[in-house]
Amino acid sequence: MPSHIKHGSVGQALSPANRIAAAALLFLMTIAAHAATLTYHIAGDDAGPWPQILGSIGLTAAAGGPANLVVVRNVAPGSVPQWMQRITEGEIVVLEGESELAQALGFEAGKKHVVVRSMVDEHAPKLPIVWKTGVDIPVFAVPADARIFATERWEGAPLEAAVRRGSGAVLWIAVEPGRQGYERFPYLLQALSDLGMSAPFRSERLWAFFDGSYRSRVDLDYFAERWRKAGIGVLHVAGWHYYESGPANDEYLRRLIEACHRKAILVYVWLELPHVSEKFWADHPEWREKTAILQDAQLDWRKLMNLTNRQSFAEVSKGIQALVTRFDWDGVNLAELYFESLEGADNPARFTPMNADVREEFQRLHGFDPLTLFEPGKTDAAQLGTFLNYRAELAGRQQEEWIAKIETIRESKPNLDFVLTHVDDRFDTSMRNLIGADAARVLPLLDRHDFTFLIEDPATIWNLGPERYPKIAEKYQPLTKQTNKLAIDINIVERYQDVYPTKQQTGTELFELVHVAAKAFPQVALYFENSILAPDLPLLAASAATVDKVQQDGRRLIVDSPYGVGVPWQGPALVNGRQWPVHDQTTLWVPAGPNIIEPAAKDPALRMLDFNGNLRSAAASPAGLEFSYQSNARAAAVLNKRPQKLEVDGNSTAQPLLESGLNFVILLPRGQHVVTISMTPRPLDRP
Amino acid sequence: VIRIILILALARASGIAQNPDPAYGALEQAYASLREKNYDQAIAGFRQAIALAPNRASIHKDLAYALLKVGENEEARDQFAEAMRLDPTDQHVALEYAFLCYETKQQAIARRVFDRIRKTGDATAEEAFQNIDGPLAEGIARWEKALEGSPDNFSAHQELAALAEQRDELALAAVHYEKAWRLRPGERELLLDLGRVWKLEGRTEEANCVLLAASRGEPARVAEKARELLPARYPYVYEFEKALQLDPNNFELRREFAYLLLEMGKKEDAEREFQKLNQMAPDDLLSTAQLGFLRLNRGDYAGAQPLLDQVLKGTDDTLADRVRSALKLPQLMRHRGTTAQRTSEEAKSMAEKSLKAGYLKDALKYLSIAQENDPVDFAVMLKLGWLYNVMHQDQQAIKWFKLAAKSPDPAVAKEANQAYHNLAPAFALFRTTFWAFPFYSSRWNDAFGYAQVKTEIRLGHFPIRPYISARFVGDLRGTTGSTLSNPAPQYLSETSFIFGVGVTTLPIHGVVGWFEAGESVKYLTSRSDVGAMIPDYRGGIAYAKGFGHLLGGAKGFFFESNEDGVFVSRFQNDMLAYSQNRAGYTFARTETAALLQAQIYFNFNGTADRLGQYWANYVESGPGVRFRLRNFPKGMMFSTNFLRGVYTVNEYNPRRPNFFDLRAGFWYAFTH
Repeated sequence: MPSHIKHGSVGQALSPANRIAAAALLFLMTIAAHAATLTYHIAGDDAGPWPQILGSIGLTAAAGGPANLVVVRNVAPGSVPQWMQRITEGEIVVLEGESELAQALGFEAGKKHVVVRSMVDEHAPKLPIVWKTGVDIPVFAVPADARIFATERWEGAPLEAAVRRGSGAVLWIAVEPGRQGYERFPYLLQALSDLGMSAPFRSERLWAFFDGSYRSRVDLDYFAERWRKAGIGVLHVAGWHYYESGPANDEYLRRLIEACHRKAILVYVWLELPHVSEKFWADHPEWREKTAILQDAQLDWRKLMNLTNRQSFAEVSKGIQALVTRFDWDGVNLAELYFESLEGADNPARFTPMNADVREEFQRLHGFDPLTLFEPGKTDAAQLGTFLNYRAELAGRQQEEWIAKIETIRESKPNLDFVLTHVDDRFDTSMRNLIGADAARVLPLLDRHDFTFLIEDPATIWNLGPERYPKIAEKYQPLTKQTNKLAIDINIVERYQDVYPTKQQTGTELFELVHVAAKAFPQVALYFENSILAPDLPLLAASAATVDKVQQDGRRLIVDSPYGVGVPWQGPALVNGRQWPVHDQTTLWVPAGPNIIEPAAKDPALRMLDFNGNLRSAAASPAGLEFSYQSNARAAAVLNKRPQKLEVDGNSTAQPLLESGLNFVILLPRGQHVVTISMTPRPLDRP
Repeated sequence: VIRIILILALARASGIAQNPDPAYGALEQAYASLREKNYDQAIAGFRQAIALAPNRASIHKDLAYALLKVGENEEARDQFAEAMRLDPTDQHVALEYAFLCYETKQQAIARRVFDRIRKTGDATAEEAFQNIDGPLAEGIARWEKALEGSPDNFSAHQELAALAEQRDELALAAVHYEKAWRLRPGERELLLDLGRVWKLEGRTEEANCVLLAASRGEPARVAEKARELLPARYPYVYEFEKALQLDPNNFELRREFAYLLLEMGKKEDAEREFQKLNQMAPDDLLSTAQLGFLRLNRGDYAGAQPLLDQVLKGTDDTLADRVRSALKLPQLMRHRGTTAQRTSEEAKSMAEKSLKAGYLKDALKYLSIAQENDPVDFAVMLKLGWLYNVMHQDQQAIKWFKLAAKSPDPAVAKEANQAYHNLAPAFALFRTTFWAFPFYSSRWNDAFGYAQVKTEIRLGHFPIRPYISARFVGDLRGTTGSTLSNPAPQYLSETSFIFGVGVTTLPIHGVVGWFEAGESVKYLTSRSDVGAMIPDYRGGIAYAKGFGHLLGGAKGFFFESNEDGVFVSRFQNDMLAYSQNRAGYTFARTETAALLQAQIYFNFNGTADRLGQYWANYVESGPGVRFRLRNFPKGMMFSTNFLRGVYTVNEYNPRRPNFFDLRAGFWYAFTH
């Protein structure tokens, strides 16, 4: 049973003397209720990259108050005994390289040196971690009881290790982490977590792309729980595997959707038109897209179809309608509907579209066959420009056509959310000519259609640091007034560029990317669920959380966040002076804006343990609870008790109810609503 | 007999109860966890069981299935591989392994395993093989066709090579990897691909050479991957030679080869390689020095000299010292060497000499060395603070003063602390300055007071700082009364508090610009020529600089100049120029007397304005004295001046054209 239930019964049953003792105990428990690491302190004049590293999971610099995480960059002469005492008393201290304090703890530089170019980290021992520039460092002796997190790859010299002293701990690294904070030690934050540091906040609003072919044999319930813990709110499921109905595939997808809904995760169908499906490609060779060398356009994994052809479009349109209506989707994501490839017209073997319909239409409009542009020696820059403009226009037309199609499907499924994924062509302006992507043409559609514009950062800039996201956001501000409908997609993949220390983003680099992106955009998507490395999952929700202000004022915690946030909390709580019914055993969820959280004496009987939607307000009532929300898709509420009665906007309603272990999940309608949930019918309702 | 049978039966039963299977307990726990869908515990149990019974294929298989449940496909694949190794007859395991190879991007292995199994007549393997092989064959044909049209298409070669490698067409793969690399030599990952394929083809010697080339130089990731594929031994000379034939512009590779030759005593060959390195990168001091030494060794002084000179002028002190040693020149003092303490003492002495000679940069270098060798020498920290201060690098200076303030020597700590507090406000976010200048003037028989408190906000390195300010300008007498030419009483000061916000620039060569806007609030309720609150705009540029031995310094002559150009809105938008100059002598500071330090001097002052008003146009000069008293605040300075002046504009002047004035007052200022 949760501890808050016990508090209630203790308060009622004990004698006055024991009540005082119980109150003292309650006070002590509530102090511990939010004992997460909220702030850090850096000892030394130069903070180095530590604010970025620690800030990437929401830690903020201590403003004069106590901090239980300290990075000691400069050890003042004579200060070693004080530091040792502070460690023993519970501080987590980070040390870099050689210092008097490191030496006192047993990290001692030897005479032998090693040039470090790559290392092995116990958090991902098979992951190649390579430093861009080798660093000559002494081989250190570490204390016998040290836990070694990372070693130099070839010689095994310790590079990152920790010791526990008293109730505190020390994380030592052989050399500073680098300018951005992730150039050398990707898993510093994981090591700190292992030593007892806990991230201050959580967000469960992340979107993640999902391809069932990588997860065909997993336990879906296990994964749904894991995704939710990692902060994922929406799974965008590769829809092309289910385009054709098949018993095994359909059953898998139904189980996936149910498992997700049981954990309050929404599921969108992700379409990658003009790729339709393997079978469609095999069955319709006549509608295959062509490259500029007139080969069928099978490029990488995508097998592209000619959607300019009206028969092909009609057939695919019918198939998409069937796919969307066949399953209990929460949304549709129409992604990357333009042409190939990132090499543009420089590589005719990958250049599309060059199907007969496109060539014919273009010839009719401009008087020449675009194929001639690719004949050796016949390249004409002006003519190519004409074709590239036509191609971008055609991509825009196709997007509009498909948006209209999805809108018609929504008429029969009004709770469907809609997302258009579009590569960025504002920050990287080469995209229009390379693949025909033109955001400026699509963004005005936001004024006429209700969808989210998900900006995919193009492969060409995957090597740039997290600071690119505010810059991308800036580029889109002038193009639309609907900035709340913009989202950003972070591709967590092996990058083709020469990047360090890891080929794909992980650890601090990933957290910095997610954190900065979450500050710059209202919504962040990750491509994709399968590529997020296991060591990153526990801190991902923390990196996605954005908080404008946090202040500890005695027992009160003041948190101001733009989109709502989960605060580490155990036990009953008051939020803005009212009994708060939205929390589970470890996290208390508050809506956007400033909120004052403080311990309470007891919990309401009916609580909402988790909620997927934008919570606007909540309150406990004698019969249950009331809350209001806004959501672009259906909203999911996880309750600790079976609800007896549900009212949405004052009207009794029967929404789908799912059992999730001991809990219950209600799927609520899309839009903005006020919900009242009762555990027992109110007296007036009784016959 | 019955008893014997019973004993044997009991022994057998007890044997069964004890269970000879060492992994039994762990397995039982693992299966129980699996039933509860507690996969993490189940996996831990299976691992424990494997540690106890490592050669049992079934445990590896069960672990693999548990790993599949939690999505650890690569680990599951490796467990199936182990199970397959332990029990090669288990076709089912082999199929599982092959499927997982395919899913985990090991398509070539998957294809090989399916191929092996399909030959036994397995339909699943046959279908899987065809599903892999068919698209590979199609892809190869497609890219081959694409290359017919454009043989220099880099991506076509690369794609074709990758598909061919997956289909075990290694010779074809090698050809196209090599072609792709020749087209784009900067894509050094292709060297890895080529080395890997050659190795698979059995062309080990060639593979080692290409991998050797990839393992030296940038990019670091490729170098590290190549190192994995190379044999553990050090490469042979011929491998270096072949690698260099393949990759002649690989600087790191050639340099290592050159040193290898040197090590082997092949000086001529080594010199040839260093010569090439010098041509490739004339700025690389290491190879330049080595080439110089080699030439020096064989008596080619003319050839060696320019190279060694280049190293001596370069930035690598260690290398330069080696050259000095070779040329029998005295060594540069080094950061590290002998004992740290000795080096520190030498450095301090050199720093002292440099300071005396005015070589500040040298002094800084030596003090830095001293500090590095003896990091707890607080006196050196203090000196570093003063030196940076003299060099106008106060941000550095403040750092050292702060450190030196922790000195156990009270004198050092006090001096450092004082210096730190003098400088610190300049770097604080908010900087509040207060000054006041009350004085008596015999000419007006009045006591005047000027004061201002101002808080500036520091905006990082931005050269402009906003501020808020409150000024006081007033006097005791108030008015001179009416005169014949001016029936209205004439006020001697603004008699106001002026509250304003403004901006000021940082001083550039002693010049500061400022502007503020605010409200002037009169405190004389009887004053009728202005309203109770009037808008007040003022601004200007100010220059203040002292030369020679100023107050607070050593004895000697000094000159000070304060030049101000001021716009004041309340004086009919007038612009005024003030010039105040003092030249004189500063006396030495006393050790114990109440009079701490004094100056005597002669004033040369002038004032002019845009509107040509008599009161704002005069020149004056005369002697003066300034002094500080020991027991008064350090920001307080007393002055007395006796001046003879003449108005340069006399229109509307109700007084005589010249005047005497005795002014006595004190200046007090502090910054927080």
